Amino acid sequence: MTKGAVIPKKGTTEKAILDFIKEAWEKNCFDSLLIPVEIPSGDSYTYLLIQDPSLIENASPLPPITSVQGARAISSITRKGKVTKRIAAIMRPCEIKAGMELHKLEQADLENVVLISVDCPGALPLSDYVPDSKTGKEKFLKVLKEWGGESVRPVCKTCLHFGAELGDLHIAILGDENSIYLIPNSDKGKEMLRSLGISAEENLPGWDTKISEIKKKKEENKKKSEEQLESEVLGLDRLLETFSKCIGCHNCMRACPICYCASCYFDSDNTEHDGTDYVDRAENKGALKFPCDTLFFHLGRMSHMSLSCLGCGSCEDACPMSIPVAQLFSFVGQKNQELFGYFPGMDKEEKVPLVVYKEKEFEEFEDSH
Amino acid sequence: MKEEFVPKIIGFVCSWCSSAGADVAGSAQLNVPSSFVPISVMCSSRVDPTLILAAFLRGADGVLVAGCRPRDCHYENGNYYARRRFALVKNIIKSLGLEPERLRLSWIHGSEGQRFADVVTQFAEHVKGLGPNPARKRIDL
Repeated sequence: MTKGAVIPKKGTTEKAILDFIKEAWEKNCFDSLLIPVEIPSGDSYTYLLIQDPSLIENASPLPPITSVQGARAISSITRKGKVTKRIAAIMRPCEIKAGMELHKLEQADLENVVLISVDCPGALPLSDYVPDSKTGKEKFLKVLKEWGGESVRPVCKTCLHFGAELGDLHIAILGDENSIYLIPNSDKGKEMLRSLGISAEENLPGWDTKISEIKKKKEENKKKSEEQLESEVLGLDRLLETFSKCIGCHNCMRACPICYCASCYFDSDNTEHDGTDYVDRAENKGALKFPCDTLFFHLGRMSHMSLSCLGCGSCEDACPMSIPVAQLFSFVGQKNQELFGYFPGMDKEEKVPLVVYKEKEFEEFEDSH
Repeated sequence: MKEEFVPKIIGFVCSWCSSAGADVAGSAQLNVPSSFVPISVMCSSRVDPTLILAAFLRGADGVLVAGCRPRDCHYENGNYYARRRFALVKNIIKSLGLEPERLRLSWIHGSEGQRFADVVTQFAEHVKGLGPNPARKRIDL
């Protein structure tokens, strides 16, 4: 039975969350706030690191889209070392997980960052929302009411961490129309509530039940999605067909929070060859498509980042050719994570699988085909 | 006359134990398929997953990674990392429905000339049964 604090709502859910944040700020729980804010044109959101509490009025703790992956904002601020001022960061569970993963990869320092997650119904595809944000906002109200549904991104439909207690403090919005729940998940979270005089000892059966119910539905979605992948994308022919639209822009890699390399191998000179190589290959095969080595880029990127893939969907949002790249990468990511018994974004102290080893393991991979 | 399929095997062979094993096989004039192309690497841990993928996607019918036995690695623990990287690549290939049976990892000790010859011969036989790598002819790769 999950325990937390029950905070009655005075108005909308977003207002209740912002009221709590304001109170915590006034009582010196943190010095600045990293939170999504709608941009002036009204058709997207961005992250603001806010020092002036009066600017919180335009903030949105639960935006309809994930435009900038929040973990990249955390990494920008803390990659060169921890900040001395305490920052509270409010983001989706997948952004929190990416932040934790980047901390492990030494691309972020979470020491003075308080990570606050919110129950997430999913996000709308960028390509749907941005051209018509008015309709997008209406769609998102429906998404919140139905908790998901058909308009959210494919990876959101199968995400099992929508209500996960990750980070330091989780704000639960499911289970009770009249309240939000605050669930501390670490010493930092417990300390924050303690300093506000908020007791987090109440049972939250309504939330637990709702989470299990939704998880079950997501698990069914996951099974259907894997069956669809198997029949439409897997195998050499179908894989090549899926990626035949790829224009090699590498947007997926650039948008990915885990792809942090300042200089990606697949952008380097090593992947460019002498003209005779291309001409010879074209001669051997009859023809050669350009851009070349498309599958090499995608499979190579998988081999570099799939163990840390959170299934956040930023890659698919960034693809100009609507290739289901997040669905495929998160599928392969999960298979690899299962193989290594590794759960990315969950435990800051757990090392990524490729930097550790056991003397006896994976013997089934030796001398076998 | 129909040409018999001779599988082309790319082998990433570590410069210490595995190469020594290969030398012993050579000195003893053991039969090793001539379509085996050895590429020397200092240690099996140098084998980045992208090397295996490049060989596989360029049309190698089989890709072998050979290193020192656990506890015998010249650099102490390179082969442990190599084993994890190999497991990762093989699992990616398997999950995508490509042919993981075209990839093999073998530990070969410096004195094991016969084992070197056996590993390469067995692997070549196995890969021959799989037929040519379909990636070789794909223009859209």
